[in-house]
Amino acid sequence: MLLNFDRLGWWRLALIGITLTTAAFLLLPVLFIAALSFGSSQWLIFPPPGWTLKWYQELLADPRWLESTWTSFQIAIIVTVLSVLLGLVTSFGLTRGRFMFREALKALFLTPMILPVVVLAVALYAFFLQIGLSGTLTGFVISHLVLALPFSILSITNALEGFDKSIEDAAVLCGASPLEARLRVTLPAISHGIFSAAVFSFLTSWDEVVVAIFMSSPTLQTLPVKIWATLRQDLTPVVAAASTLLILLTVLLMVLVAVVRKGLKS
Amino acid sequence: MASQTETESGAAYAPLRARRPTDFDLTLPALGLLILFFVLPVAILLTRSVTEPQPGLGNYAELLGSSTYLRIFANTFIVSGLVTFVSLLIGFPVAWALAIMPSRIASIVFAILLLSMWTNLLARTYAWMVLLQRTGVINKVLIGIGLIDKPLPLVNNLTGVTIGMTYIMLPFIILPLYGVIRKIDPAILQAAALCGATRWQSLVRVLLPLAMPGMAAGALMVFVMSLGYFVTPALLGGTANMMLAELIAQFVQSLVNWGMGGAAALVLLVVTLALYAVQLRFFGTDRMGGR
Repeated sequence: MLLNFDRLGWWRLALIGITLTTAAFLLLPVLFIAALSFGSSQWLIFPPPGWTLKWYQELLADPRWLESTWTSFQIAIIVTVLSVLLGLVTSFGLTRGRFMFREALKALFLTPMILPVVVLAVALYAFFLQIGLSGTLTGFVISHLVLALPFSILSITNALEGFDKSIEDAAVLCGASPLEARLRVTLPAISHGIFSAAVFSFLTSWDEVVVAIFMSSPTLQTLPVKIWATLRQDLTPVVAAASTLLILLTVLLMVLVAVVRKGLKS
Repeated sequence: MASQTETESGAAYAPLRARRPTDFDLTLPALGLLILFFVLPVAILLTRSVTEPQPGLGNYAELLGSSTYLRIFANTFIVSGLVTFVSLLIGFPVAWALAIMPSRIASIVFAILLLSMWTNLLARTYAWMVLLQRTGVINKVLIGIGLIDKPLPLVNNLTGVTIGMTYIMLPFIILPLYGVIRKIDPAILQAAALCGATRWQSLVRVLLPLAMPGMAAGALMVFVMSLGYFVTPALLGGTANMMLAELIAQFVQSLVNWGMGGAAALVLLVVTLALYAVQLRFFGTDRMGGR
């Protein structure tokens, strides 16, 4: 009776024990960082000897932290818009089109997601050095777009495959042009897929570090690159403050997603 | 009707437009982007491995003939294997528990899994750098309860990388495994119990074999993802446990040796693609990319 929770006997306790320990293992480091960011110890002693906001003040006083945050935000927003638009157009082509090699094409579109990022990072770095895009905002956007697009295509294709095309056909029969039917009937119906695509694209770019390390220049770097460069020198609590803000953003996004999902369902 | 009228008026321009736009054309912008900024750069990089510094397979001979580089390959496989093994060992019971738990508790655990997965990778790695350092909480607790006298070296070595990477990979093995166990019909295990199987017998001879395809697919995915990892090994590992991704970065960034960098990238690509081919062949496409 291993799949009946009430009839597992003492095994139930063991399973619950392992699950709760694992949940704690996953959760505690996140909480730990948040606690440390308010601790007064430069050496990250835990529990902290006192509480302070000075790491946040230091973070906000340093223009390089602010600049890199702004750069990250700009790139992530542009990538999100492009990724959703391109994902939308491509997904329509992939789900509605009847052509040879459709599955192969779909697989090609998803490859950047499964290949080791470091290979793409190094390859694009070399390529951008040659065509003069190295260290530019455009270079960042292009490389993050390549990484974000598969998530966008996957989300929107899933939504489109779950949508009954005969509704769109009905709109055309009622006099709408095919484009109008897609824009005014299908698009609202797959809005949850578009929303997921936007969230995934944003996070892919916002959190991305490996490609960003290679794309960045002394004058242009993203927040993860700034954290990476700082961490290579020392474990300063300022990074704890920056990480806590990132964690807060994650929680906010998760809540937003939950709210939107609930709103779309009802 | 409207579409028909359009087609007819479109026919007037037939000489200008050789054919009607099709749904295939919609995929062209993305295809162009991918060919120009993905396929082409990777192809150029790989080509440089056989053209620089001089044409030939010299880079590969050096890469596969040197004990330093072979140790890095071996280390990459050891770390990935260890991470996969530990993730599976912890992930199976957790996925199993999640599949049969009252949904209220399970949904809390799921929220924690997602929070962890979505938290910035560097923030999570930083947490472990702090937790595992000599004066860190883990060492303090271990000394406090009298388990050890001196702080253990937990970071900049194999222990640090394994803990940090298992932390990242756990959700990727728990979520697909949960899906597989969820689909197993409880009646099969009921039948096993009715036929007199003990719990151990049911576990080893019924539940584990039924969950095996999911375990193999999840393990393979975690293994492949681990092979190409860069950030966590670089921050939590020592110089003695360098992994392949770091080697590629080093060839390009510090040594500016594009030939060797390209060769190492090709090795990583070939291994990755070969393992994905195995996955596609035996487990289908549905779990690609860990979503």
